[in-house]
Amino acid sequence: MSAAQAGQAPPVLATRDLVKRFPGVTALAGVSFELLPGEVHALCGENGAGKSTLIKLLSGIHGAGSYEGALLANGQEVAFASTRDAEAAGISVIYQELALVPEMTVAENLFLGRAPTRHGLIDWDAVYSQAARVLKAAKIELDPTTEVRHLGVAARQLVEIAKALSKDPKVLILDEPTAALSDDEVQRLLEVVRDLKARGIAAIYISHKFEEVFKIADRITVLRDGKSVVTLSTAQTNPEAVIQHMVGRPIGELFPRRASTAGDILLSVTNLSAAPSASSTVRLRDVSFEVRAGEVLGIGGLMGAGRSELLLHLFGAYGVRLSGEVKLRGAPLVAHTPERALAAGLALVTEDRKRYGLFLDSSIGFNLSLSSLNRLSRRGLIEQSAEVSRAQELFGSLRIKAPGLETAVSSLSGGNQQKVVLGKALLTEPQVLLLDEPTRGIDVGAKLEVYELINRLCEAGKAIVLVSSELPELLGMSDRILMLAEGRVGGSFVRAEATQERLLAAALGRARHSSPRSEAVSP
Amino acid sequence: MKATWKSALRDYSMLLALAAIWLFFGLKQSVFLSSRNLSLLLIELSITACLALGMLLVLLPGQIDLSAGSGVGLAGAMAAVLVFWHGVPAPAALLAALTVCVLVWSAMGALIVRQRIPAFIITLGGLLIFKGLHWLTINNQTVPVAEGGKSNAFSLLTTYYVPPLGGYALAVLVVAALVVSSLRARARRAAHGFQVPDTERTFLGLFITGQLVLLLLIVTNQYRGLPLPALVLGSLALLVHLLTAHTPFGRYLYAIGSNEEAAFISGVPIQRTVITAFALMGGVVALTGFMQTAYAGASTATVGSLMELDAVAACVIGGTSLRGGRGSVTGVLFGALIMASLLNGMTLMAVSPELKFIARGVVLALAVWVDVKLNSEG
Repeated sequence: MSAAQAGQAPPVLATRDLVKRFPGVTALAGVSFELLPGEVHALCGENGAGKSTLIKLLSGIHGAGSYEGALLANGQEVAFASTRDAEAAGISVIYQELALVPEMTVAENLFLGRAPTRHGLIDWDAVYSQAARVLKAAKIELDPTTEVRHLGVAARQLVEIAKALSKDPKVLILDEPTAALSDDEVQRLLEVVRDLKARGIAAIYISHKFEEVFKIADRITVLRDGKSVVTLSTAQTNPEAVIQHMVGRPIGELFPRRASTAGDILLSVTNLSAAPSASSTVRLRDVSFEVRAGEVLGIGGLMGAGRSELLLHLFGAYGVRLSGEVKLRGAPLVAHTPERALAAGLALVTEDRKRYGLFLDSSIGFNLSLSSLNRLSRRGLIEQSAEVSRAQELFGSLRIKAPGLETAVSSLSGGNQQKVVLGKALLTEPQVLLLDEPTRGIDVGAKLEVYELINRLCEAGKAIVLVSSELPELLGMSDRILMLAEGRVGGSFVRAEATQERLLAAALGRARHSSPRSEAVSP
Repeated sequence: MKATWKSALRDYSMLLALAAIWLFFGLKQSVFLSSRNLSLLLIELSITACLALGMLLVLLPGQIDLSAGSGVGLAGAMAAVLVFWHGVPAPAALLAALTVCVLVWSAMGALIVRQRIPAFIITLGGLLIFKGLHWLTINNQTVPVAEGGKSNAFSLLTTYYVPPLGGYALAVLVVAALVVSSLRARARRAAHGFQVPDTERTFLGLFITGQLVLLLLIVTNQYRGLPLPALVLGSLALLVHLLTAHTPFGRYLYAIGSNEEAAFISGVPIQRTVITAFALMGGVVALTGFMQTAYAGASTATVGSLMELDAVAACVIGGTSLRGGRGSVTGVLFGALIMASLLNGMTLMAVSPELKFIARGVVLALAVWVDVKLNSEG
């Protein structure tokens, strides 16, 4: 239970059996861990294991009363009503999304909203001298008068840290601080964290990158399915053991994938490289795979591995192709738009359905038919009877729970909204369906219906590309699995060979390839 | 209970406002309800409403056209100069000016979606540029639309009246078409198992519409007959209604206005759709320009001035969202009728131009405020 340094001082921050429920989902199902004074404590877990929710509880975003269990600071139970309370208790969080104003100077950002004033006016001398002091104390070499927009991502990250430090915290929480940093920048950041540790500030460090975790952390707590599984001393463990703890759950009967026979190759991708724009850094490198009729290809990878970008690029909605070829039923797709992709028989269901999928104030019928209007029109006019009967068919077969086609989409539950997005794609009668996290944020019943739909589509000879960050879902639903790691194929597996450990290792870029990288093996 | 009261108020708020305006002017100035004035009001309404219908096509995908008023002046000026100074036959002159407008507006649309310059900026530039071109074209003079005492296709736009018998024949046709289409819509809804509005309401609606059409003809026939601009407006309204409610293009306008990113992913051709909307706006601007200039009798420096604001106001009063995605032809027609009635009534009462501006501004702000209020908790 207690760690190496334990004994005298109580933990600066601790949780006891935290449970946090959202409608339909239990995000935390019992998390207990202790953060000792001056310790760097890493949190590890798959996407969706509960790390972000835990941070939101610790930082007061989910206030007291919204969860069960106890939060303790210095051995005393505390109840944070808001982020302000958490800050007052000395807890500072540095989020993945940087929250700096680019047009302001470093100093202005450091004291944004709480600048020292004299006679009601901002005392700029004080702002800049205090900023200089804060930066110096953190050993961050930045000029406080520089505008933030001139700084690189790493320097901005350091400004964030300085900002957190200027609030004189006892505990610093770093959420994936190195996600966007280069190796050198990571070293610089780790230096700063070590320095803080020397000053007695404890840190919670969240990262997917084991190298960093093992360099910086004293202890590691593994979360899985919203539970704290184990706390390990870094000195006495290794990455493989941590991965074991992160996965290691049996795949139940949740995934009713029925085997279907694979037919012709419908979609083939060879040596694809792409970037957000012609002048930016490469996001997808040398990706190759193919999908056959009646087959589900699962694509996994950690956040930022390029999964969504890959699907969006195939669909003609993202980036510039630097090299490689995409062929749909043998015909190349070059510089295409979603309009042309749909006409060619490709359809996409995006991850962020509210942003990219739905017209919330419009009716279910409007949403369902939008992508298929050309086929539903004759002599330029929409044939209402054809439109309504096609929409009605999907409304029934997808079992959308709503009074009728004229109901506004905004009034539907998440699962039913997702069915509308799926229906819009299906109405175009695609040959290849790209699904990006199709079961995110929907309840178990709706998930099962989505899986059933995938089965039906495969039996009807469609090819499906399923992107998911849940390894059990990938293992349960795919015939073959491709893991992406930093825009490359980290490994590809046929289902029989795949295990969670191997998939995760491939996602972390430490794969031992089970099959040659560039050719996809069909079962 | 409160909710139904509120939704009823929302549905009929424009009708109530219109009734109040007419009652006020009718009582204050009995000429307002004379057949001659109502006939003139119909022409003024037609001109305002045409431009507003074009504006609707641009507002639906979340764009705006501030250059419309200047464009109205320029289109009329081009046609008048061709006819009066260069002796070009009126139909050819109109066609030439129309073509120029369609091309120029397509170009503005292309700049907006291809170069990603906000419509507000591009058309603000257009407002100034077209105004300058307008004044250059007429050389700061007054250019009549036809030789004195004569008439041509240009001048007839606002001076031709459909004779009584023709008017009644048209009315019968229109009412018959309305009855048939509403019966067919009911049958279709019933076939798909949708809720069908009850028979009495449908009948009542058709009956009232029929009565209104008849009343309109009786009133206009007491003067000279149905003015041509009313026919132009009727045709344009039908066209815009078909476009927005029954074509893929129209659906795309709404889709782009409510969620452009989702529209793109759904395969909506965003660039083509927006450019087409602007091209249509160019055509409407030209048409409105011809009518407005013909109504003034000549192209002068002030023709079309600030008309874009009346058009936007008519749309907004009629329930069109400036953020896009919401708006309908009937709403815009109501909005235009309110704006035109206000202007006409104030002119009759010899309200000074200063006060007219202030009154129009207040009405616009008021209308939007009421709309926001009624929509907020509904």
